[in-house]
Order: sequence, then structure tokens, then C-alpha cells
Amino acid sequence: MFGGVFGGGSQKPAQPAAPTGMPGMGQMQADPNAQLAAAEQEMEMVTDMFARLNDLCYKKCLIQRYNDEELTKAESVCADRCVAKFFQINREVSDKLAKYSQANQ
Amino acid sequence: MFNNYGASYQEQRMQQLMEQKQMKDFMRMFSNLVGRCFDDCVDDFTSNKLNEREISCANRCTLKNMKFNERVGQRFAEESAKMMEDQAKMAR
Repeated sequence: MFGGVFGGGSQKPAQPAAPTGMPGMGQMQADPNAQLAAAEQEMEMVTDMFARLNDLCYKKCLIQRYNDEELTKAESVCADRCVAKFFQINREVSDKLAKYSQANQ
Repeated sequence: MFNNYGASYQEQRMQQLMEQKQMKDFMRMFSNLVGRCFDDCVDDFTSNKLNEREISCANRCTLKNMKFNERVGQRFAEESAKMMEDQAKMAR
């Protein structure tokens, strides 16, 4: 939740850029009430995704028992790759799911 | 019912929601961090006080996890932006 988008200095977590995970969500809601609900849902999804990502990459990358307070080079690189692969998996799964749902209409 | 309110109400509401979300996320992160550091650092129950090793482990744990979190957050923001761009391209 920290870093690039909203300035990395603060301790309070900042929202990362919210991806529109659902296709076709663009112009649908003229009703502001529904818009708000949709935005809320999306925020929920994004923060859930981030928390999950953090947890998974922690399990896969931070293996040592805190010998040092700095991230090692290996851990940093692992974090980068972990996030990249996570998003690729996200794409793969959503593509496959879309095809599957279409085929089963 | 909400149609009577202007855009500023929308913005206010969004702002409120975001702040609430941030608070909630912060609490959750804190809670997880405590759990992790306890799990990773404490396994000696011959005393009910933390020993020095455990305390410094906990400090290192906190810092390391925060730095890790930051890095993941940066990459997350980058990848999200990329994903939005891709979707925008597809929608054209």
C-alpha cells in the first residue's frame, strides 16, 4: 500500500492505483448511488488483492529469520518478480475464466 | 435520493470511504505484522519477558517487513497502471 503512487513518505498506507479488474465497467452507471457502490467494491477488491499479494510474496521471498533490517538484494529482486508473476497469473486466470464462461453460455 | 446532491457530495463520500479503507487496511497490516514477528521471533517460553535477542529480532522484523511492503506496493502500483493501460487499449 506504500510507495510510488501517493508518495512513499507517510506511515499510513496509501491506496495504489485501482485497476478496473472487471471488463465493461466503464460507462454503465449514470446513477451516482450505484457509482459509489461500484467504486467501493472496486476499492475493496484492490485492497484485498494487495493484501493477498503481500502475504504470498512474503511467504515466497522472505525466508530468513531477520538477520538484518535491510532487504537483501535477493529479497528485493524476488519481490519484484513475485509481483510481476502475480499479475501475469491474474491475467491468465481471468482470460481462461472468460473463455470458459463464454463457452458455457 | 442521492441525485439531489452535487458532485462535491460524491467527492466527499469517496474521500470518506478512502480514509475509512486506509484506516482499516492499516489496522489489518499492523495486526498481521505483529502476528508474523511473534511467530518468527518468539519461541522461548522459559520466561514471560522478551529477551534481548527476541526484541532485536522483532525490531528487525518490523523494519524488514515494512520495507518489503513498500517495495511490493511500488511494483503493485506499476503493474496496476500497466493493466489499466492495457484494458484502455483493448476498449478502444
